[in-house]
Amino acid sequence: MSASDRARSAFERIVTASGVERLLISVSALVLSILIGGVIVLAAGRMADCGTAAYRLALPGSFVTQFTGGSAVVAMGFCYDPIAVYDLLFLGAFGDVLGDPTNGQFATTLAETTVLAFAGVAVAVAFRAGVFNIGAQGQLVVGALTTAVTLLFVAPLFGGLGVLGTVVVLPLGLLLGALGGGLYGALPGALKAYADANEVITTIMLNFVATSVALWLVNDSSRFKDPDSFSNQTVPLPEFSQFPSVFFRARDDFSVVALAVGVLTLVGVWYLLTRTSFGYDLRTSGIQPDAAEYGGVDADRTVVASMALSGALAGIGGAVYVLMMLGNFQTGVPTYGFDGITVSILAGNNPLGVGFAALLFGVLKSGSIVVQVGSDVPPELVGVLRGLIILFVAMPEFFRMAGRRFDSLLPEREEPQGAVATDGGVSDE
Amino acid sequence: MSEFDRRTFLKTTAGLGVVGLGGIAGCTGGPSGDGDEDTTTESTTEDTGGGDEDTTTESDGGDEGDVTNVGMVYATGGLGDGSFNDQAQQGLLAAADDFNVEYQETQPDEAAQFGNFQQQLAGSTDPDYDLVSCIGFLQQDSLSQTAPQYPDQDFQIVDQTVDEPNVASYTFREHEGSFLAGVLATELSSMDFSAAESSTASDSTNLGFVGGIESALIKKFEAGFKAGVKYTNENFDVSTSYTGSFNDPTAGQEAALSMYSSGADIVYHASGNTGTGVFQAAQEKGRFAIGVDRDQSVTKESYADVILASMVKRVDTAVYNAIEAKVNGEYPGGSQETLGLPEEGVALVYGQQLGSEVPDDVQSTVADARQGIIDGDIEVPTDPSNV
Repeated sequence: MSASDRARSAFERIVTASGVERLLISVSALVLSILIGGVIVLAAGRMADCGTAAYRLALPGSFVTQFTGGSAVVAMGFCYDPIAVYDLLFLGAFGDVLGDPTNGQFATTLAETTVLAFAGVAVAVAFRAGVFNIGAQGQLVVGALTTAVTLLFVAPLFGGLGVLGTVVVLPLGLLLGALGGGLYGALPGALKAYADANEVITTIMLNFVATSVALWLVNDSSRFKDPDSFSNQTVPLPEFSQFPSVFFRARDDFSVVALAVGVLTLVGVWYLLTRTSFGYDLRTSGIQPDAAEYGGVDADRTVVASMALSGALAGIGGAVYVLMMLGNFQTGVPTYGFDGITVSILAGNNPLGVGFAALLFGVLKSGSIVVQVGSDVPPELVGVLRGLIILFVAMPEFFRMAGRRFDSLLPEREEPQGAVATDGGVSDE
Repeated sequence: MSEFDRRTFLKTTAGLGVVGLGGIAGCTGGPSGDGDEDTTTESTTEDTGGGDEDTTTESDGGDEGDVTNVGMVYATGGLGDGSFNDQAQQGLLAAADDFNVEYQETQPDEAAQFGNFQQQLAGSTDPDYDLVSCIGFLQQDSLSQTAPQYPDQDFQIVDQTVDEPNVASYTFREHEGSFLAGVLATELSSMDFSAAESSTASDSTNLGFVGGIESALIKKFEAGFKAGVKYTNENFDVSTSYTGSFNDPTAGQEAALSMYSSGADIVYHASGNTGTGVFQAAQEKGRFAIGVDRDQSVTKESYADVILASMVKRVDTAVYNAIEAKVNGEYPGGSQETLGLPEEGVALVYGQQLGSEVPDDVQSTVADARQGIIDGDIEVPTDPSNV
């Protein structure tokens, strides 16, 4: 087998093999986005003003000139160092994870990942059922609010019980979040099923309703506002009703327990979708609603059920946000619900993939903080770099195409491809 | 396309890339200490390894010994808001001009990130920040948690108080400045006043207040304004509207339009960028408005013909004072400073275009009210329900 043959079969595998393919595509997407982002960082670095260059580009580089003597022919200084930026963005998000696995920055990354995983899997469930739930944000807000407000009254009843109090109150909080978010998700589901209302419009509008009602409920101390605070927020929940910060420091607002609940939820949803008859009904409704109905699926009920499940998952995300990160409800909930849409699409609406996509988002979100603190790069530029990475990772077809194109550039093989085609194996498409 | 073609193509594009960067270099900034045509090779290690070290912006001289490093954590909304954060930055830049200060600015997008930003700056060893300045009342909760973890780090919080020995708190008595806005508005509304394209009607007894998100802080503005109105003329009333956002000019415009239509001559806003809509409505209806936070007849120059005055909040003074105290080695950790009219922490400044049109007797009435507040003769409430 010649070298070109081996290369050819390697590229064929890129195009066809799914596991390796996914990995290769993701890696090339990352590399390409980093290269393009690097050029943007350099260009922005030329447009900014600074005293000393953070990065110098020289041709030939110092690596060559240190041996040959002499000096670079062309040299240019840049205000921002792209290598340092990406170093901070990716590695910064993990902190000193090998030396101190419970460091604060890694905790922030995992905390963001956990909430995003819930939001992402919520969107994924609806999308798999063929329902476009753009309202995960609203369902998350309602879940967070329900948890925070109800626990304010319920938690004190279990005050003296210590750990037992946590064991009772914490699951109750998650359940309340699921209930609030689930009902709020079932609403547009029912509107779609029984009143033929477009769920895209209703869910978007219900986002505004949720945010505004939440604001009204917590902007006055005659309702649920903390009278001691300037912010629009509820009174902090007692410590025992929140996620315990096992291993990690309490001030980092992260709990391994919440992460474990998140992972279990992803696996559970995956099992539900792929291994149960409900999941089968749900998926067939998404792929071919007419066929599903012909096959005996109650389409209306499936829409309502999938939206309720989706809303419940988003609601749990909101409850986790309250019980792990904030300790109370505060207006101005970050756009987890909208990020969840991207997370889900990035993961191909696969519940297990959502975990990895959420981690990528968590890393980027937490890493941008490190970039802002550790470099002069403006936050807008970091936003551009984040966007580029997501853009490239989200277009696998482009890399498949590039792989095929590159494949066809290699010298032709002597044997035609008949052998592959006749054994019913993979085709070029 | 053959392999050869592709190579040429790649070469060409690469060439273009370099030319492109060079082109940008020709017409813009870039590092001043490192020229484009610099052909010497130096500092081989700096390029590859820790480029992240040299990140602070240099201002005055290079004496490494007594540089004061300041880390800023701005309020959500970030720089470029034309009011609060930009005002804070003014104080930082002024301090950087006057003292040997290096600084790092950070702009969180959401309240949940404040703690992380504060810890990052406080925990940083390169540079070791002498002062971490937290702008905005939303940072109170996270700073109450962060400050005790870093007992050797000095913090500043603006617009809220944190009771820790290493935190200096700076708050403002916005109600005092707003009171003067109320006095000015009532006086002008009681007469037939006209300037530029706009005018007031002497028979109207109605004024307006547009707020951003309804909160205890913005209610201080409302309370002060209403108190100033009542103080000047019992018969006047104020229509109030909260738009629910600090960044929704359309909502601000709608709210103000309905106020002007129902007889209000002058509308005072405390709503950030939402207030831009208030100014638009004033222009449309030929009425007046009063700005907030900064001299908005300067920052929103196209509306200078309707902005009678602005209730400025000297966030810059708070930032500058804290840095100055730190530089002089007398940081007031644990102290809680409230900046009102006497400290010039708040003030009513007349618009650059309309200010000269305001009659002298009105200006002296406002000055009298200011003196009354400073002397303690006038008590200004902070809650609208106490007016």
